[in-house]
Amino acid sequence: MDSIFTADFFAAVLSGAILAGMPLLLAALGETISEQAGLLDIGLEGTMLLGAYAGFVVTNWTGSYWVGFLAAIAAGIAVSLLMVVFCVRMGRDQIVVGIAILLSMEGLTSLLHAAQFGQSYPRLDAVPAVPIPGLSEIPVVGPSLFTQPLIVYIGVALVFVVAGLLSRTNLGLDIRAAGRTPVALDNAGVDVMKIRTVAALCTGALAGLGGGYLAIVTAGIFVPFMTGGLGFIAIVIAMLGRGRPVWVLIGSLLFGVALSVATALQLAGINVPTDVVQMLPFVTVIVALALFARQSYLPAALAQPFVRGRR
Amino acid sequence: MRDGWRFKARGPALTLVLAVATAIVLGGCTARSPEAGSPSPGSSAGAGGVKVSKIAVITPEKANDFGWNQQGVEGAAAAAASVGAACIVQDGAGYGDITPILNQLAGDNPQLMLAWASGYNTVAPQVAQQTGIATVVIGAGSDAANTPGLVNDLETDAQGGAYLAGILAARTTMTGTVAIVVSAEDENWTKMSGGFIGGARSVTPGIRILYVQIGQAGYADAAGGKRVTASAIAGGADVIFGMGDGSSFGMMQAVETEPPPAGADKVWFIDVIGDKSSLDKKGIYLSSVVWDFTAIDEKAISEVEAGTFGRATYRLDLDNGIKLLRSRFIPAEVWDEIETARQGILDGSIEVPLTTTGKEVKAYLGSGK
Repeated sequence: MDSIFTADFFAAVLSGAILAGMPLLLAALGETISEQAGLLDIGLEGTMLLGAYAGFVVTNWTGSYWVGFLAAIAAGIAVSLLMVVFCVRMGRDQIVVGIAILLSMEGLTSLLHAAQFGQSYPRLDAVPAVPIPGLSEIPVVGPSLFTQPLIVYIGVALVFVVAGLLSRTNLGLDIRAAGRTPVALDNAGVDVMKIRTVAALCTGALAGLGGGYLAIVTAGIFVPFMTGGLGFIAIVIAMLGRGRPVWVLIGSLLFGVALSVATALQLAGINVPTDVVQMLPFVTVIVALALFARQSYLPAALAQPFVRGRR
Repeated sequence: MRDGWRFKARGPALTLVLAVATAIVLGGCTARSPEAGSPSPGSSAGAGGVKVSKIAVITPEKANDFGWNQQGVEGAAAAAASVGAACIVQDGAGYGDITPILNQLAGDNPQLMLAWASGYNTVAPQVAQQTGIATVVIGAGSDAANTPGLVNDLETDAQGGAYLAGILAARTTMTGTVAIVVSAEDENWTKMSGGFIGGARSVTPGIRILYVQIGQAGYADAAGGKRVTASAIAGGADVIFGMGDGSSFGMMQAVETEPPPAGADKVWFIDVIGDKSSLDKKGIYLSSVVWDFTAIDEKAISEVEAGTFGRATYRLDLDNGIKLLRSRFIPAEVWDEIETARQGILDGSIEVPLTTTGKEVKAYLGSGK
């Protein structure tokens, strides 16, 4: 069994970690923004599903991954409008609306897929990788970490964009204030509804893109219910990351690495019960983030509707 | 207070609207394809039996999955057609409480119902008792589940077909490494894994076989299927025996797009349950262990008519519905060898290993026998 440990194998394991971690990263980044603004988007998984479906359909039709990613973003924004209308504007229960969004999107995408692709199950070609000159030549790490589709590099860059947005801009300050002390923000003359709306739309865009990545890059196909709980794991990572995008990046990649290592352990024939191996990603992320990401806190007004004039 | 009143008064209403909207959307997934018709009570056939003029099949997912649900519906339709009976299809019923759906189906007065998921094993016998309609249940695991005239269990023993797939894989591999990829620890998958290992080792005792599971219940995890299969290919496997429902599409995607391992010029895929060869655009679909339920369903119909239904568990095996798909990629001499092995299994001269858990599969894999 030792001959399985080749450079190609280790490269595949690392690539698998990126494949598994990237949809989580994008969705968890989105959730981070909405949580900081006081919105708990339980329907994140539904948003990812519609993003996955839209991204797949458009890529399949147009042959362009980039148009597919844009469609996924648009679909995510469309779903998040439901959050905006019901939760931000009408102040409805975010948990109930989130669950309704999830169930609706599961049903809708399953229905559309059955009608459109039930007899054909088209698959997409692999998204071409873009090697980073120099770095891609490094053994094992080069062909895996530094030879990825462009969207992966963009995803990582978005971490720092979101981190900068939340910590270094007025909009970021407003977003965090909307989640912690929305009344104070309102008293300062800032429209809390508007800030929360912007946050919800950003969440939709990123979760939609995460779903699009899942269907276009990771799987190359759309299958009903294909998110399989990823949206909820993203929510957990966002909550454990507590508003710090870099921790969200670490958590997501840690999850991907643990998932990939679990596969590698099985392929290597390590005699560990499969159940234990399958727990590895979840345990790893929870332990790591619980130990090292304790310096920030969830917003005080999380999941609470803001109604002007009410204290 | 005003805002609080608004919330209390309108909140439930909004919830109701959302729930109704959700139900409408989800309801669209479970469109019944009926055969309308007024009740048509069966006339007497054999002693204690009834003439079967209508059967009903209810599946948890849509019957266009090229897998379990589609094979179940196609088998039922073919069996019904063979005796001139009508077939009512209720697909996409989900895995929840299907009692209302079963009662609705019973209202159409079929003489036989097929409850096509092991998750239906609690409610389907109850409805059978209430309505008196003969019902086939799946994987109850015990003869005690059988009730004369009412309930008959169906078990699947596809390991014989997987044994043949193992022979095919061993004859096809150029790297000497093949892989089994499963979506979950499912008894059907573990049985077939053992059969596959036995078949491959009957050809090449020292063949390297990788075994990997996508997740606890990764049936629809196409992304996981692709990721895990890609790792198996990177580990040297050039034949993938994939068992996974929706996730098998991800496995196929990996087989199509990943570079072959050193020593191989391409990677092959062997499927289970359904036949996806019509979806194969890149010539990678080597075969499939197909599950054809037609003969079992015909037997159920004949037993309902003869009044002998519910006496003995049905077993789908190499003798009555499990078969290895012959694709254009399988050389004639290899197919002859497979046919010889098939006869050997049927006449008992070849013993196919039985592994009912993942632990047993790993133990068998580690034994090297």
